Amino acid sequence: MNTKRSAVFAYGMLLPALLVVALLLVYPLYLALNASFRKGQTSNFSEINQLPFTLDNYQDMLADASVWRSLWISIQYTFFSTAIGFAIGLVTALLLNRNFFGRRLVRTLILVPWAIPSVVVSLGFVWILDASYGILNAMLRSLGIISTHIAWLSNPKYALFAVILPTVWKGYPFFTLMLLAALQSVPVELYEAGRVDGASKWRLFTHITWPGIRTAAILSVVLNGLWAFREFDFIYSMTKGGPMGATETLAIRIYNEAFSFFHQSSAAALGMMTFLLCIISALAIYPLIKEQFFGGTR
Amino acid sequence: MKKLQSLLPGVLSLLLSLIMLFPLYWMFNTSVLPTSEILSLNPSLWPSLSKISFDAYVSILHHTSILRWFSNSLNITLWSSVISMAVSIMAGYSLSRFRTRGQAVMGFFLLVNRMLPGTLIIIPFFIMTNSLHLLNNPIAVILANITAIVPFATWMMKGFFDSIPVELEEAAFVDGCSRLKTLIRIIVPLTSPGLAATGIYSAILAWSDFLFSRSLLLDSNQWTITVGTISFIGQYMVQWNSLMAMGFLSVVPMIVLFFLLEPFFVQGMTSGAVKG
Repeated sequence: MNTKRSAVFAYGMLLPALLVVALLLVYPLYLALNASFRKGQTSNFSEINQLPFTLDNYQDMLADASVWRSLWISIQYTFFSTAIGFAIGLVTALLLNRNFFGRRLVRTLILVPWAIPSVVVSLGFVWILDASYGILNAMLRSLGIISTHIAWLSNPKYALFAVILPTVWKGYPFFTLMLLAALQSVPVELYEAGRVDGASKWRLFTHITWPGIRTAAILSVVLNGLWAFREFDFIYSMTKGGPMGATETLAIRIYNEAFSFFHQSSAAALGMMTFLLCIISALAIYPLIKEQFFGGTR
Repeated sequence: MKKLQSLLPGVLSLLLSLIMLFPLYWMFNTSVLPTSEILSLNPSLWPSLSKISFDAYVSILHHTSILRWFSNSLNITLWSSVISMAVSIMAGYSLSRFRTRGQAVMGFFLLVNRMLPGTLIIIPFFIMTNSLHLLNNPIAVILANITAIVPFATWMMKGFFDSIPVELEEAAFVDGCSRLKTLIRIIVPLTSPGLAATGIYSAILAWSDFLFSRSLLLDSNQWTITVGTISFIGQYMVQWNSLMAMGFLSVVPMIVLFFLLEPFFVQGMTSGAVKG
């Protein structure tokens, strides 16, 4: 085969994808970076790159205590939604790894939440969490856990918990899927050998199962964490960052700055910082990511 | 005892899946009850069959633009998916069969895509859309969706192409087939599970989009179903049954698609793109 013609073909096939990436990812990223160094604000988004150059947005951002509060809220939101999602994902994956009648149907049922649009999930949870008629309050009251109804979404004390719930619900199938795939690659013979040696169930888990799924577990935690850290849909549709900023994560703050207050340049600066934080956390597990994203051909 | 042990995981996971599906059930339950039943301090978990009515569904069809939003969503989802899949098939094939610099470039951008906050990228998107006079035009949302879909869809397709032996193509070349013809006639039909997986991934992502359509479509006639549904949250006198009916209707297409294509999707996620 003619190698030169092959190369032309190879790049030709790749061209549309590269164009999409260049025009719709690289150029916008450049625009955003540029905007983050501009002074003042404009009612016209298109003129933002004509404003004078400044570092003020970054200085103001770092000096603003409420930005650090948003970062802390983002961290809590990311941590809890990932930790709870992981726990549910692990349990469901371990169950689905067993052989039983109807396993395929149950697997589909367990994975369904992944297919539901985030904002519809939020909608369902807004109703479940409703202060007056929500089923959660009614259930907790009939179980005797609470005596008066809790305003989950309008009380700053509970609002963060309230937005974590739908995030977990939509997010756990990703863990189920990743962990199930890893579990299925653990050789059955290892368990048989372990049982012959008289190992307990717990020892089988810590010595055979966990080492087999450790890489997948770390990878899925990081990928889910990155997703949650940038999450917009749930929080915005449920609380818009309120009440009193209790759920204003960095991602929500960026949007509010840009589209409610029209501070596009400070929003862009905040966005660049969020992006940078994501890059740093990804670098921490670079060896794992490298294998997945840059893995060689065949 | 042995028998019980083999039954237990099945029963447990069925139970668990029912608990996890409760929010969906509850949405449906609320959507078929009259308001007097819904606004109760001690709601019943099971609706009494005599009270069930589909009035809420009739009411939203008459009083909201749901059909319009539905068709907008359908339109945007269809185009986003078709274009993304065409782009991803080509790129995935190239990445699977040739060692080029594209490998590193696409890997890098897949990574960037995973880390870029949507709320950051929407700012330049808004600027670009505005200067191209594409605000309120579904094309803007379709383009935005494509950027979100292509990097991962390409990786999924690459995984599927990797599983097809090269010998098949070589045989076709010997028979005088051109590269492109081989791809279209022989390879793509063989990856139909891959197409199904990538298709469902694209469709679900595009159908679920909220950020892009919420920011780029300001005219309520152009809204997608997600933006339309959310516009009712926080209004005075919320009609919960209508709202839940709307939410439930908007997920039906994706649930149907998911039930039909789930095995392919699981295969795609596990064997193709995400290697544990």
